[in-house]
Amino acid sequence: MSNHEKLAALPFVYEAAGLKKEYDEGTVHALRGVDFQIADGEFVAIVGPSGSGKTTLLQMLGALDRPTAGTLSYRGKSLSDLKDDAAYRAHEIGFIFQSFHLLPPFTASENVEMPMFEDHQSNAARSTRARELLKSVGLEHRFNHFPSKLSGGERQRVAIARSLANSPSVLLADEPTGNLDSENAILILDLLSDLQRERRMTLILITHDMSVARRASRAIQMKDGRIVFDGEPSKLSTHS
Amino acid sequence: MTFLNVVTRGLQRRPVRTGLTLLGIAVGIAAVVTLIGMSRGFITSWTAGMKSRGTDIVVHNMRGSLTPQPFPASTRERIAHLPSVAATCNVLVNIMSVETAELMIVSAREWGGFSWDNLKLVSGRMPKDPMEKAAVLGTTAAEVLKKKVGDTVQIETQELNVVGIVEGGAFVENGSIILSLPLLQEITGNQDKISAIDVRLVPGMDDAGIRRLCDEMSRLIPEAHAEPAGQHLVHTQGYRVINAMSWGTSLLAVIVGVFGVTNTMLMSVFERQQEIAILLALGWRRTRIVRMILLESALLGLLGGILGIGLGVVGIQLMKTAPAIRGLLEPDLSLNLVLIAITISVCVGVLSGFYPAWRSSRLTPSLALHG
Repeated sequence: MSNHEKLAALPFVYEAAGLKKEYDEGTVHALRGVDFQIADGEFVAIVGPSGSGKTTLLQMLGALDRPTAGTLSYRGKSLSDLKDDAAYRAHEIGFIFQSFHLLPPFTASENVEMPMFEDHQSNAARSTRARELLKSVGLEHRFNHFPSKLSGGERQRVAIARSLANSPSVLLADEPTGNLDSENAILILDLLSDLQRERRMTLILITHDMSVARRASRAIQMKDGRIVFDGEPSKLSTHS
Repeated sequence: MTFLNVVTRGLQRRPVRTGLTLLGIAVGIAAVVTLIGMSRGFITSWTAGMKSRGTDIVVHNMRGSLTPQPFPASTRERIAHLPSVAATCNVLVNIMSVETAELMIVSAREWGGFSWDNLKLVSGRMPKDPMEKAAVLGTTAAEVLKKKVGDTVQIETQELNVVGIVEGGAFVENGSIILSLPLLQEITGNQDKISAIDVRLVPGMDDAGIRRLCDEMSRLIPEAHAEPAGQHLVHTQGYRVINAMSWGTSLLAVIVGVFGVTNTMLMSVFERQQEIAILLALGWRRTRIVRMILLESALLGLLGGILGIGLGVVGIQLMKTAPAIRGLLEPDLSLNLVLIAITISVCVGVLSGFYPAWRSSRLTPSLALHG
């Protein structure tokens, strides 16, 4: 059984136990002992007000930061013990940001190519793959457009295409509809839901919008660095 | 898109800043090209002059001083008999202010010596005898002094008739006032003194043979040194001072360039903190970020170097026509100097990129989730 197959056989993508994160020499408690498990292929919405710790949690899940205490493992391996966190970010996860974070000097196609540089593909292969991905998000007519020439919704679709560049098994989305109007927000959520279902990916989406959270199969609600609700999104309203 | 495209886009995003930084490096490299080209040109011009006269070895005593020290003309008798020596010619060369020219080569040659043979008359005639109060001017010297046949030229207190204009086959020869040895000895008060002996060898001697002969000559005349033509200048105090000053000035200009590029790259890194964090969040390794910054910096250096060489060529052309040195030396813009300039500029770029690259590698990817 290959390493990849062994990893895939494990029931949970992420497991957190007693996860804590403190800043400013322990004066700020962003996470105060968080426990959860996320299964492969789940669509989880993490909700909560500003300062509740949801962005800190996303940083931990993306190995952008390390916990102060507790453990967070990805497919059975502690993220704190990763020897090559760049490889984890490049191949296992895809990031989608609230402000899209496309690089202005590069075209839509070139932005999508960016994560592929660590994948040692040829220039031609990168370009072909980027175009395929842009086509899959309905932007085949925008390959050579710079971000400044794209609408908000189009920028986020480019960002989604970029997150899929190295075929990750997990998508981490930080308020992906936060900077979009309601029409584009629905389009982006539909796109993410379709991708998650078709590609059987795990989608972890941070939002403070309950209507967005209700599109998920599961909601984790946070407050003051703790999980205060973990269950069906339809029951969120009674706990918010 | 290649990685190089990513690097070049980084430089294109602030064209004015990139342009000014390039100019900063270019000025430094132009200083290297111009000043080193001048100091090297001093050697190559004089070597070419020697070759045009058919001189293989020069006996001189310039090593320990900034200017040639005259020595007895009779010194020649101790080496002229050596079997490999075909001919010798005593010379007295001064670089002095002549009329409107601040620096002019005044080259006095033993009457009848072989060092006259390369001179081809363009107009007029050669001096009739060693004591005729006459001189011939190289073509460039005539232009610089604005003289023609029939005019007079004043060397120190003596007024000489310009009897001919000559083509000497080399830049230095054409930039010289040429007269007979006894005349200049009298004018400068150096009776029976010379500053060098031009030695022509029998044909077919290789470099090793020439060096052996130089050693033998130096043993025979301990008050002077015998060296292959051209090399006698490389070891002189004067050339070393000129060379050191050229490199020193160039180094200062290059250091200014280093600070300029460092500043630009640091500002670039600070401005792009979030972009770099995004790239880290997308899975880029820190080593790739470092490589990107170093490559940007090296590319700045390379482009600045190319621009600097262009400016240096313009500088050299301007220097060639400067009244102070016109006819004295021809700047040397060799491929070797161009390669040195390019190497220096790329090193400037890489060196300047180290600190900004290190700073970029310290950025945390979590910045990507802010803002």
